[in-house]
Amino acid sequence: MKIILTLIAFLTLSFASVSDEYLSSLYQQAKQENPNFSGFEAKRGEAIFTSEHMGKKGKMISCASCHGMDFTQSHQNFFTGKIIEPLSPKANPTRFSEIKTIEKWLKRNFNDVYVREGTAQEKGDVLTYILSKDKK
Amino acid sequence: MRFTLFIILLTSALFADGYGYSKTSKKGVAPVNNALYLKECGSCHFAYQAGLLPANAWNKMMNNLENHFDTDATLAQEDWITVSNYLNANSAEKNMDYKRSSRIVNSLRGRAIPDSISKTPYMIEKHNEIRPLLITQKEVKGIFNCMACHTTADKGIYSERDIKIPNCGRWKD
Repeated sequence: MKIILTLIAFLTLSFASVSDEYLSSLYQQAKQENPNFSGFEAKRGEAIFTSEHMGKKGKMISCASCHGMDFTQSHQNFFTGKIIEPLSPKANPTRFSEIKTIEKWLKRNFNDVYVREGTAQEKGDVLTYILSKDKK
Repeated sequence: MRFTLFIILLTSALFADGYGYSKTSKKGVAPVNNALYLKECGSCHFAYQAGLLPANAWNKMMNNLENHFDTDATLAQEDWITVSNYLNANSAEKNMDYKRSSRIVNSLRGRAIPDSISKTPYMIEKHNEIRPLLITQKEVKGIFNCMACHTTADKGIYSERDIKIPNCGRWKD
């Protein structure tokens, strides 16, 4: 019984922890990049996500252009029309389930919208913002 | 003069029905059969069959993923290798028994390496009668969106009878 309980506890923890684990590694990096860094903020993340910029394709876009503003719904790639599954891990359990995938998309999408890679703080802010919408 | 006429005749015979005189035994193009390719390439756009371009064109594209049609499509190194190997092993010139692969390869003879499937002479010719507005309309977006009109494109079948253009209907040549 104890073993089962421990297993369940462990599984729950490990399921919940992929984005947390990634956030804590970003936290360490952000602290190194900026000694005054005092934690991620959903508010800053929201600005990163919703503000429009001249993207890599020469059009004004934001993250929301492809992901939409309701993270529980799928949305369409602005350029190709391909369906993008919901950003919310509650609505889409495979979302944020692998650090490699999170890193791949943050790198690509910062380049596509901002024409540069995001800093650790920016990546953490935007991830915190997306996750915060599930808690509301 | 006679020689010139002969050349003209020969050329017109060669191109009489587009690019099609070589013998092919299979319809369409070999369907995608690689899960990583489907996942990585198919998350942003239609997962084009490897047999739609020769290996040299795939390699040109794969070596420029940071600027993939002005989008960052970079992959982790191990995934880049898997996708590249898959494309190389299944590219058009290795699938000459498939009609579309063979037509594409033949249309490229003596030409520069194309930047995309839609830039191959065969594809340009096959689509040149379609009104541009039908291609740019929001239901299609662009020539890259095979599935918008070719309803069986994901099966590697691009036959005329499976074409249904939004706001236009079935296509007749």
